[in-house]
Amino acid sequence: MKTLTMKLAMAATASFLAMSAGAWAGEVVWWTPNFNEARARELVEKFQAANPDVTVKLEITTTDGLPQRILTSLQSGAAPDVIDVQHGWVNGYAQNNLVLPVDDVLTDREDYIPAALEYNTWDGKLWGIPYRIETHAVIINKGDYTAAGLDPDNPPTTWTAFKDAAKKLTTNGKSGFAITGGGEVGNTIFRSLPFMWMLGGGIISDDGKQVLVNSPESIEAVTFYTDFLKEGISPTSTLENDGTANRRLFIAETVSMYQSGQFDIQSIRKENPNIDIGVIPVPHPDDGKTAAILGGWSFVIPSDAKNPDDAKKLLGFLAKSENQAVLTDTFPARISAMEAERFNDPILQVFKEMLPFGRPVPAHPNWVQISQAYFDGIQRILLGDEDVKTAMDGAADEIEGLL
Amino acid sequence: MQKQSTGYLFVLPALMVLGMLIAYPVAYTGLLSVTDNAGNYVGLDNFRRVLSARATPTAFWNTLWWVFGSIVFQVILGVLTAILLNQNFRGRAVVRSVTLVPWVVPGIVAATTWAWMLHTEFGIINYMLTGPGLIDEPVGWLTNGSTVLPVMIAINIWKMFPFVAIMVLAGLQSISNDLYEAARIDGASFWEEVRYVMLPQVRTVIVAVTLLLVIWALNHITIIYAITRGGPANRTLITPIQIFRTAFESVQFGQAAALSVMFFAVAIVVVFIYIRTLASNPEETR
Repeated sequence: MKTLTMKLAMAATASFLAMSAGAWAGEVVWWTPNFNEARARELVEKFQAANPDVTVKLEITTTDGLPQRILTSLQSGAAPDVIDVQHGWVNGYAQNNLVLPVDDVLTDREDYIPAALEYNTWDGKLWGIPYRIETHAVIINKGDYTAAGLDPDNPPTTWTAFKDAAKKLTTNGKSGFAITGGGEVGNTIFRSLPFMWMLGGGIISDDGKQVLVNSPESIEAVTFYTDFLKEGISPTSTLENDGTANRRLFIAETVSMYQSGQFDIQSIRKENPNIDIGVIPVPHPDDGKTAAILGGWSFVIPSDAKNPDDAKKLLGFLAKSENQAVLTDTFPARISAMEAERFNDPILQVFKEMLPFGRPVPAHPNWVQISQAYFDGIQRILLGDEDVKTAMDGAADEIEGLL
Repeated sequence: MQKQSTGYLFVLPALMVLGMLIAYPVAYTGLLSVTDNAGNYVGLDNFRRVLSARATPTAFWNTLWWVFGSIVFQVILGVLTAILLNQNFRGRAVVRSVTLVPWVVPGIVAATTWAWMLHTEFGIINYMLTGPGLIDEPVGWLTNGSTVLPVMIAINIWKMFPFVAIMVLAGLQSISNDLYEAARIDGASFWEEVRYVMLPQVRTVIVAVTLLLVIWALNHITIIYAITRGGPANRTLITPIQIFRTAFESVQFGQAAALSVMFFAVAIVVVFIYIRTLASNPEETR
């Protein structure tokens, strides 16, 4: 009698579980950031028309606090089926077994920008599918150039020439070139680390074994970066400015040049149509090449996804060249997708030229803390607490313990 | 005997809920503090790492300044406001309501608003100071190492003093009129009334409120995190923010837990000393 009751209970539980699993079959939950919403909906409709047995449920995220939110959902076991994440986050998820490998979805590797794939690779496997890439360039106010007696069509290309131009632009309460020194750490990493790379320095080596932050090359680059504030070229508010604040200052016409991506162009045009916007490559040292951090977004499938098979079907669809060309806000990660009409806008030309100089940031499990230690050092320099050498030596000590 | 055990039975559900809500997180934090991210036992490694971090002593001193600076002014300003609002004057109801505004505004809204008001380039505060020529150059309130923590403390004072005021005001209103009359017959001036009638009568309220303020200041995150995230160069980093950053930005839950455990110990000691010196010894504070 007792065994019968047990069996009945087990059968009931099993059928209940089967039913609740059945409710999930055919539904894919996709988290995408708010800037993708309209285009994502368009693509979802197309996908559902071609795959009537799969329903895609879009959930819109915002970038502020997104890493924490994703991490919480990945670790709690209540994850969606597809998430849009920044390239740099993928490695951490892969190393902690939080996402599934997607080698079977991405088959035409040769059509992808290599650096974008590199970001998503760990232990010989691919853990995310890149769909959007971008780098920074320098956005300039051409009107200010002319007013200062500079030629906007023949912009400075070397560090020396760039600093001279920035000095000339710093007149009448205007700041020639705005660096960042506040906000989220990533803002300043994106804008200062490339200068270190150009000289052969860096924060840590690519294999994550060596601290480079206080090497002579890195110190020279950090000096170049922080001197913009010390010499009064960057606004006095530098320590509280992130990328967005710099864009606002540019729109308010108090800053003549700043580093950013192409996503800023539209909002500048909308908020202050009077500015004649120009874009120039990030300046390089007298005998060196320019560099940039390759940023962008990838899709991942969480290990706890309820419906990984249909999620892969959706990713296969989104990874198609023509769909990447639609979804990306900046540039697509696929080379063939770049041929789409919308990427031929002349203002995008320089951003496109910067792409081959784009490098991934080193993949290290403690990267967030490492970059925080470096950023604290930058802030100590900008505050005037310490000179560049002392600050970077201090950062190196901290980073040494994190490798 | 029978009766007593029935009583235990009745409080059992409540105790279990309390146990789950309080004991479990505390115990789990303790467990986390001796394990790494994969759940392996690592002994005191997390404590060693956290203590050797450059930010930890900075955060500790900042926390002391933050708590001390906030509490002293919140209590003084709050009590003075309460005494003022206890007087009879026209428009008292309006002033009482307006005083509550900072406390009612959600912390994140207040923080964001202050961040913009204090901005070096766009901020209205610099605009108001430079406009009439009070200062020549805009002040970098949030970028100057020596102003940023005091500014945070000022915002916290602004945010919390209405709470002190309203609690003390409630205490003041429960004071019997007889006491004032007796004092006046003895020839007490207004300030003597404050000193010998009002303050002794609301002493317990002030003690309770101060204790709450200490706990809240020790656990504070919103204002500082929303405005500076602990920067520039950790000038406004207080320990709760360091814990938050370690856990949710650097994903080092073990180290964050180790820091929490130590912070918990310090906080307990502070609160314990405070209760001992103030609450149980009414004669001493006169």
